[in-house]
Formats: sequence, C-alpha cells, structure tokens
Amino acid sequence: MSTAAPEAVAGARTNLAGLLVVPATLFVAFMLIGPLAILFRYSLNKFVPGQFMVDALVIENYVKFFTDAYYLNVLARTVRVAVLCTLACLILGFPLAYVLARTQSRFKNLLVIAVVLPLFVGNAVRAAGWMTAFGSRGALNASLMGMGLIDQPLEIMYTEVAVLIGIIAVNLPFMVLSLQSVIEGIPRNVEEAAFSLGANPAAMFRRVLWPLALPGILAGTILTFILAMNAYATPVLLGGPKFQMMGPLVYGQFAQQNNWPFGGAISFILMTATILLTVAAHFIVQRRNR
Amino acid sequence: MSAGSPRLGRYVLNGAAALSLGFILLPLIFVTWLSFFRQEIPSFPPEGYSLQWFAAAANNKSFIDGFVLSLQVGIVATLIGLVLGVPASLALARHRIPLGPGVSTLLLLPLVMPGIVLGTSTYVFQIEVELATEIPVMGSLGGLIAAHTLVVIPWVVRLVTASLAGFDRTIEEAAQNLGAGPITTFWRVTLPSIRPGIVAAALFGFVTSFGNLEMSLFLVGPGRTTLPIAILQYLEWKIDPTVAAASLIQIVLIGVAMIVTDRYVKLSRVV
Repeated sequence: MSTAAPEAVAGARTNLAGLLVVPATLFVAFMLIGPLAILFRYSLNKFVPGQFMVDALVIENYVKFFTDAYYLNVLARTVRVAVLCTLACLILGFPLAYVLARTQSRFKNLLVIAVVLPLFVGNAVRAAGWMTAFGSRGALNASLMGMGLIDQPLEIMYTEVAVLIGIIAVNLPFMVLSLQSVIEGIPRNVEEAAFSLGANPAAMFRRVLWPLALPGILAGTILTFILAMNAYATPVLLGGPKFQMMGPLVYGQFAQQNNWPFGGAISFILMTATILLTVAAHFIVQRRNR
Repeated sequence: MSAGSPRLGRYVLNGAAALSLGFILLPLIFVTWLSFFRQEIPSFPPEGYSLQWFAAAANNKSFIDGFVLSLQVGIVATLIGLVLGVPASLALARHRIPLGPGVSTLLLLPLVMPGIVLGTSTYVFQIEVELATEIPVMGSLGGLIAAHTLVVIPWVVRLVTASLAGFDRTIEEAAQNLGAGPITTFWRVTLPSIRPGIVAAALFGFVTSFGNLEMSLFLVGPGRTTLPIAILQYLEWKIDPTVAAASLIQIVLIGVAMIVTDRYVKLSRVV
C-alpha cells in the first residue's frame, strides 16, 4: 500500500499507479465484459425444443420479441411502471430530501438511518410488508371495512397498483439520498437571497433550488429508473404470475423454459432499453445546463 | 416559508416529508407487527400476540442455512472488494492513468447494470468456464463470491474516491516538510483521513452483497441458497408470521450494524 504514497519518484509514480488499478480493472473486465459478450453470442443462437441450444448466427430471437404482441406488451408495461415510479419518487422524495438536508435536529442521523435501513433489508422483506397490508383480510382492507367504508375487500394484491406502490417504496430511499447530498451542497444564502429579492417559495424552487439540485435530480432519476425497469422481487410477489415485467420474464426463460438464446435476447433488449432511456435523459439535462 | 405564512409553509413541507418517510417505513412496520401475531394467518385485527414465531424462524433450516451462506459470501466478497478497490481508488484519485475516465466508468459499471442481466450473463459465463476447464464453477461457493465481488467493487471505488476528493493534500505536504517519509505520510496522514470512506465502503459493499437477490437467483446451486432467496421462495408459497419473524431478525441486525457504524462514520455524510 505504501507504493501509493503520493510523493514517490515522478517517473516511478505512473507505473506504480498503473499497477494499483490493474487488478480491479482486470477483474471487472473479466467478470462483466466477458460474460456480456458470451450472453450476446448466446442470444444469436437457435433454440430447438428437445435439442436445447443449437449454434447459429441468427437474429430470430430479437425478431420474435419485437413481432409478438405479448412480449411488446411486457416491455411497454415495464417502461410505464418504471416511468410512473420514477416520477412518484421524485415528487415524494424532494420534500423529504430537502428537510433532511436542512434540518438542524439532533436526530438527523437517526432520520438518515430510517431512510437507509429499508434499502438494506431487501426487496422481498418489504414486499412481505405490503402483502400483509394488501391481502383480502390484510390491514388495509380490515381497517377500511371496520370503518364501514367498503363492504367487500378491495382487490389490491396482484394488480398494477400493488406493484407500483411496492416499487415506489423500494426506490424512494435512493431518490431521497441522491437529492439530499446535492441539496446539502447548496448554500442556504442562495435561497435567502432569492426570498429577499422578492421571490415566493414557488419561484425560489423553480428558479434557484431546482436548477442547482439538477445533478442530484438526474442521478436519483437515473438510479430509480434503472432499478424500476429491472425490478424482480416486487412484481413477482405483489403482481403474481399474471403480471409480467421484463425481469421475471428473463428469469422464466432461463429457469423454466430453458430457452437461453431467447432469455439472452430479452436481457439485451432490457439492458439496451434501460441504457437508451438513461442516456437520453442525460443528454437533455446536459444540454440544458450548458 | 413565504413572507406571509412562513410557519404554514414549514408545516406543509414537514408534513410531506413525514408522509414520505412513513411510506418508506410502512412495509417494515407491517412485517414487525405480523411477526408478533398469535395466529398463523395474517388477518387483521390479530387474535393476540406471541413470540412463538421467532423460535419457528430460528428452527427453519433454509433460513438458518441461507443466513450463514449470505454472511460468508458477504464477508469474503467485501474483503476481496476492498483489497481490489482501495488501491484502484488511490490510483484513480491521485495519478494520471491512461484511459483514466474509461477505467473508472468500467469500475462503476456493475452498480448501474441491471441485476437480472448481471445474473444471466454471469450464469452463461460460468457454464462456459466450467465447460472449458472442467472445474465445477456453476453453483459453487467460489462462483457466488466472485459474482458478489463484482457488485462490491463499485461501492468501494465510489466511496473511497469520494473521500479522497475532499482530501486536502497540503496536509500531506506539511507532514513531509516536517520530515515524514512517504510511508509514514500514508499511514499517519492519508489512511486515517480516508478511513470513513473505507468503513462506509465495507458497510455498503457487505449489505449490497448480503441483500443481493436478482443476480444470486441464477448462481445458487442445489441445497445452497442465500437468505434473500430463501425468503423470496417462502413468500412465493405463503406469507405467515414465521417469515416475518425471520425478516425482523434481519432488520434488527442490520439496524444495529448501521447505528454502530454511524458512531464512527456519519452515514449522512457518506451516502
């Protein structure tokens, strides 16, 4: 480790620095790029029922996806859920992030832990919480019926609403933390300056806070969007077998259908869709910042 | 906040923030509540309360085995991730490296890669490796640890480079002016000041590995299941207080770990 000492001989420094970064770089290249290349190659193979995977160089798996209304529907539903969840996270997350960033409370660390803790307990556990609430005799239906607001239990489990609520709750902490770190870096004075120049809170937010917080908004939006596009546990547990999203679809092709070429193709479609939408958002914001 | 009604504005803002925080915590509250139910069926209101499900969870073999496996994989993957990631971060933050931005993008890439895609690609990769070398990689502990190391490294690189970025290098120069050699400077000045970053990286790396579901789903072998997968499989079958009790134990352990870590590194500064 001492080789990383900053004031090494100038000539030796670049060499040693190069050596220090090499192991991690090789590891990630080998474990990430290699596998992706193989998966892509698989996605060009043929799947023959009974014979499993047959070597080929065809795009029929991609054609199959984009010509079948069922699969296109799953992709459209996934994008819709991801966009809705990301917008909801931004709207719900901003006030909490702002309060966390500006609070002088002694309990600030405890509040941050309360936001971070759910991130760490896993998606399946949090889905279990919603399953407890949404069941036909669950907490929500029992209290609504107890208050006499409804006669029949609402059917929330295994609907898009349940999945939306589940994913929003899962992703909200990521948005809050991304926004909070950026808002903390915005000096309070700037807000006060806007107010003393006569801006009302809405104008201050729109003209000062929002533009300055834009890097955090972008980071949080991208992160929550990627996570929502690729959600697995939440749609499986709260959406049930009939509510297909891309993540469970990929797993099903590998684990149940044993159709690796098609599973590989869906993986790449999911990844490409995620990256394209993310890059588009990035460019829009960068251009605006210029 | 506005000139006319500053107090009202603050109430609305705090109310909205509290609502969001409640929404984040609500599922954990329901899980906690359910784990104390007396009856097995999760119907509200509960017929009574009992602690019997904690014993049931502690006797559930798949939860115990899953917990032990997740712990092993998490600890080993975090250590390997630190050994690979900390030197790389030092090099990236301090030195001009050919293709530096490209390298750091590559090292951060596993963090933004969809977990499902990481799972499928690692799965086919391990099959190819096994076919080529005849070493049983698929479903092995080593294969699982290698994959988890991949998702630990970005956390290490991100948090350690961040703590190096705010580092005032004149302190190092001062140490050297006072006669410290490069090694002394590193151990007595550089390392102590990036320790919060390293602790945070270890915590986040471990927790990312411990909670990983999407990728592990493809890589676990017969009779070898991590805790998140054991919980998911149980929930696909049924929800009852036993799985809630197992979840609550996990929540408490992670909560305690975070509060302890927070004493050394302020979480609000590193996240």
